[in-house]
Amino acid sequence: MIVLLSAVIGILFGAGAFLMLKPDLFRVVIGMVVISNAANLTLMASGLSRGRAPIHPIAEGEPVADPLVQAMTLTAIVIGFGVTALLLSLVYRVYASHETVDLDDLSHREARVSQELEREEVEI
Amino acid sequence: MFADGRRRWVAWAGVVALALHLAALLVLGFELRSVRAIEAVTGGWPQGVGIRFRADALGIVFALISSSVLFTAMLHEALRGVRSRAFPALVLFLAAGLTGLFFTADVFNFFVFFELSMISAYVLSVYGEERKQIGGALIFAVVNLLGSFLFLIAVGAIYHVTGTLDMRAIAIRFDDVEAASAIMIAVTVFVAFGVKLGLFPFHFWLPPLYTGARPAVAAILAGALANIGSYGLIRFGAGILPNELRFGSVVILLLGVASIVYGSAQALSRRAVGEVLAYSAIGQAGYILVALAVGGPVGYAAAVLYSVVNALNKVLLFLAIGLRGWLVGAAFVVGGFSVAGVPPTAGFFAKIAMFQTGLAAERPVLIVALIFVGSALSFVYMFQIYQHEYWRTEQVGPESSRVRRAVVVALALVVVGLGVWPEPMLALAQEAAAVLPGGRP
Repeated sequence: MIVLLSAVIGILFGAGAFLMLKPDLFRVVIGMVVISNAANLTLMASGLSRGRAPIHPIAEGEPVADPLVQAMTLTAIVIGFGVTALLLSLVYRVYASHETVDLDDLSHREARVSQELEREEVEI
Repeated sequence: MFADGRRRWVAWAGVVALALHLAALLVLGFELRSVRAIEAVTGGWPQGVGIRFRADALGIVFALISSSVLFTAMLHEALRGVRSRAFPALVLFLAAGLTGLFFTADVFNFFVFFELSMISAYVLSVYGEERKQIGGALIFAVVNLLGSFLFLIAVGAIYHVTGTLDMRAIAIRFDDVEAASAIMIAVTVFVAFGVKLGLFPFHFWLPPLYTGARPAVAAILAGALANIGSYGLIRFGAGILPNELRFGSVVILLLGVASIVYGSAQALSRRAVGEVLAYSAIGQAGYILVALAVGGPVGYAAAVLYSVVNALNKVLLFLAIGLRGWLVGAAFVVGGFSVAGVPPTAGFFAKIAMFQTGLAAERPVLIVALIFVGSALSFVYMFQIYQHEYWRTEQVGPESSRVRRAVVVALALVVVGLGVWPEPMLALAQEAAAVLPGGRP
């Protein structure tokens, strides 16, 4: 199980990192989401144990699943959710002010703007 | 929280709240003078079950400096007039996150507080609404989120190999952990905090962010948020993983040296004040790393001292650049001298501590020479931007209000005051280092 999970986490992290390297900002955000899920899976995998749900009363001698990792993962999922919303709103702000979400376009535009500024300075 | 931050009373309520927060921390600090640490377990659970909070000298030093920075920046912005609804609330959130982070004794809780402060910082970094700034803020958010998730993965790994999340228990159980996993975890933690601090190979998000940001926001990011990185490196590196820190000390030393050289060289070649200060921040982070790599009571105390003085310098400089008028230039010079380590400023004693660290290292000549060159370079670039800002360019715009200048001048006086009477600061740094294993003289 651990081997399978490690492979899945590795693939997820790699896919996320690949997406983050794309110039399209939406893909960067999706890459972030995928990496956050890789981290969540790592948390789950760190305390993997088979057993009954840890709900009171617990019968003596029976194995119990580790509740701590589940609690941690839940917290991490919520944090990841909030962060994703924030990132998407930032991307929207970029779109609202630059009318593009492509990083290549953005840097072209910025270069053009600064060139124009320099030309104006020279003229002055 | 939903009150409009642009109203004057809301901003001043934020200032008052931060002042009370600072006062509460001072009281806690005075109580800590007689005991080693004050502990509290949440929810009234027995020891070992509930989540622990632990206030010790190291935590209180960082909490005090961060909350003073937040208070000063908030005061500065309230005097200038807040232009965003959420600014006061976000600064208070940041204060809550940072304070929790410095006092928690549980690694997962550390992550939660870390995210709480980082999310406030992401939102703060777009404050100002300048077009260029949004790009910088987005890079900042994405890179730091990657750092946060790496830290989360490290937390999972720590839990897997030790079976606990309590810092003290982790430190004890880590001795039995297999060397390969221990090193992997240490490297992940190091990268996560290196990103926050803006060390050399992980620094690229920093300059665009500091260049576009409003002075108060840049001060908060450089003076309060960067403390997460230095505190995390000291607490996790020296406090929880001291063996791994010693094992990797050569690499850490080299990265620190690279940071100093790269930051100073880049700062020298820039003209915009924000950019120079941003690269200077990268260089200054390198000193903390060098001190940490040398270790021992002297090195740890120097790392703490340097983080504190660096935070003070950056706040002073960032707040001073936005202002115009009499005495502002003098305040800026004090900040510049403190960065370079010229007496009588607090920076002088931070540099002295670094020199002592250098002498304690294995190759003293090399490190002392490096620190000397680094200081000389920082003197040159600080003086260069001073010249550029206050001598060559015309002082455009109206004079800033007297109260706002008074805040900056008061900050400069604090920096000079700590340079004239440094004993309490030095004693505090030594006490903070004594909390760490191997930090006791």
